[in-house]
Amino acid sequence: MLFATALGALFRLSVLEFVPGSLRTGGATAANFRAVLAPQYLRAIGETALLSAATTILTLLASYPVAYALARARSGRVRSLLLGLTLAPFFTGAIVRTYAWMLVLGNSFVTWPVRLLFEPSGVLVGLVHFSMPTMILILAAALAHVEPALERAAASLGARPARVFWRVTLPLSMPGVVSGSLIVFAWTFSAFATPELLGGGRVKMIANVVKDLALDSFNWPGSAAFAIVALAVTLALVAGLGRLLAPREAS
Amino acid sequence: MLHRFLIASLLLALTLAPLGPSLAGAPLVVSVWGGNWKNTIERVVAKPYTAKTGIPVEFEVGGTLDRLAKARVAKGAPLVDVTFTTSHVARLYASDGLFEKLDLAKLPSSNDLAKEAFRSDHAIGGWAYVYTIAYRPDLVKTPITKWADLWRPDLKGKIAMPDFDPSHIITISALLEGGNEKTWEKGQERLRQLKPSIAAFFSTDARSQDLMKTGEAPVEVMLSINAFHLRDQGLSITIVEPKDKPGILGIDVAAVMAGGQKTKNAYEFVNLLLSKDVQEQLAAGFKAGPTNTKAVVPASLKGQPGVFSSPAEWKERGYIIDDETRATLLPKWKEWFNANIVAR
Repeated sequence: MLFATALGALFRLSVLEFVPGSLRTGGATAANFRAVLAPQYLRAIGETALLSAATTILTLLASYPVAYALARARSGRVRSLLLGLTLAPFFTGAIVRTYAWMLVLGNSFVTWPVRLLFEPSGVLVGLVHFSMPTMILILAAALAHVEPALERAAASLGARPARVFWRVTLPLSMPGVVSGSLIVFAWTFSAFATPELLGGGRVKMIANVVKDLALDSFNWPGSAAFAIVALAVTLALVAGLGRLLAPREAS
Repeated sequence: MLHRFLIASLLLALTLAPLGPSLAGAPLVVSVWGGNWKNTIERVVAKPYTAKTGIPVEFEVGGTLDRLAKARVAKGAPLVDVTFTTSHVARLYASDGLFEKLDLAKLPSSNDLAKEAFRSDHAIGGWAYVYTIAYRPDLVKTPITKWADLWRPDLKGKIAMPDFDPSHIITISALLEGGNEKTWEKGQERLRQLKPSIAAFFSTDARSQDLMKTGEAPVEVMLSINAFHLRDQGLSITIVEPKDKPGILGIDVAAVMAGGQKTKNAYEFVNLLLSKDVQEQLAAGFKAGPTNTKAVVPASLKGQPGVFSSPAEWKERGYIIDDETRATLLPKWKEWFNANIVAR
């Protein structure tokens, strides 16, 4: 109910006329939606989708081995150590972590051959690091449900480790892959602090554009219209991604 | 009957009496930027105010537009009594009825102000500064002396500038092409040529200072007060008084919130802010231009960028963007800037 009310207020604001130089709004208009369909705003949506997809794929690739080790470690100490390392980032705020990445990716301590800070590549590094703990925990939970006896059975029938992984472990861990990917994709789509700080104002994701319009231009109606368009795109993409991955899960 | 009424009134008055002093002792809440801004206002204005009136001062700190957003949400029952903001954003507050229309009779110190300090009926200038070029001489070998130097090839990938308000560089580009803020389109092509030189954009004073400290952007279109603050912290930094066009003058204003419970106290606070003694301390603390023409600027600061010691200097050494034009065109400027300069 509360969410519906807030969404209703957002929609109402999005169809009111923006009056430059004033906080007042004018009459009803569809101009805000026409304005936010301009190339620069669509480009921000496109870049957000690309960065979210890249973050999801890289996070998955980086997290799977860690999750596997976490789920299959025989030693309790090793498991505790891995779990501690996985959870450690949760104990520092997102802003602190991002500032730390600014020092690492900038040229203060390391001279990088290519520029990373204030570039999409730097933002990608920050987003992957931010997403990894969650992905690891989801994958580890899924892998813990994969019966090791099935892998041993495949191996005893002559399957090599790679084949065991592709034909047994990975398919059986797909529920975790799907839910982890959906969560990481959806929250990366709404990322704000990481692109704001690591992007140096040059990498604009959807949330940054919403903030630009609302708090810098004070165009609240335009900001509301863009937020609604972005919300629709996010829901469509998450639904599409869910459908794309669902058949694999079933198989 | 009358006797009973008088006794009842007396009892009521005695019961409510303690509320009088407690209301008077309630803190005055001042909305201002954080860091150096809040610290200086607290030291130079709030402490003498409390010493004089016995009223404690509390602060609400935040960015210019964050605080505007909060004020808008709290319209009618403001959470603060006095707000400091920039002169063009003050117009946005006033347009929504968030500021009290100033009664200058309650601000006797305003008699001594430069006329440029009277920004509108709702807000009054507290100090002046410029947006100018600041750079790290250890990282930029050839001195920068004018705005046109920003387009030098050796500064490629070294410059940072604000993206929350690009009005300074837009106006400078227009001025260099013979236009002004009203004919800003004249500077568009020149500004596009600056794009490869921009390393980063910043949206807060803190980020602006971080970029300079770390050397990620050793050249900045920077607020002079922030540049002086960095220098005070020990960073070697050159603050340029550009030779071709003046720095873009900014005037921060104070205003009394409409609908507040402590309007009288708020006026006293603003009046103290504008008084000669406090203005002199503000000029020394911020390294800014006082708006009170009787305030004496320390000799060591005279002639420094953004520090104006006479009314004539306001026009000679600074360019004032028309507030109305700025408030109206800012969304358009921002949209164009994002599409053509910020976009990779």
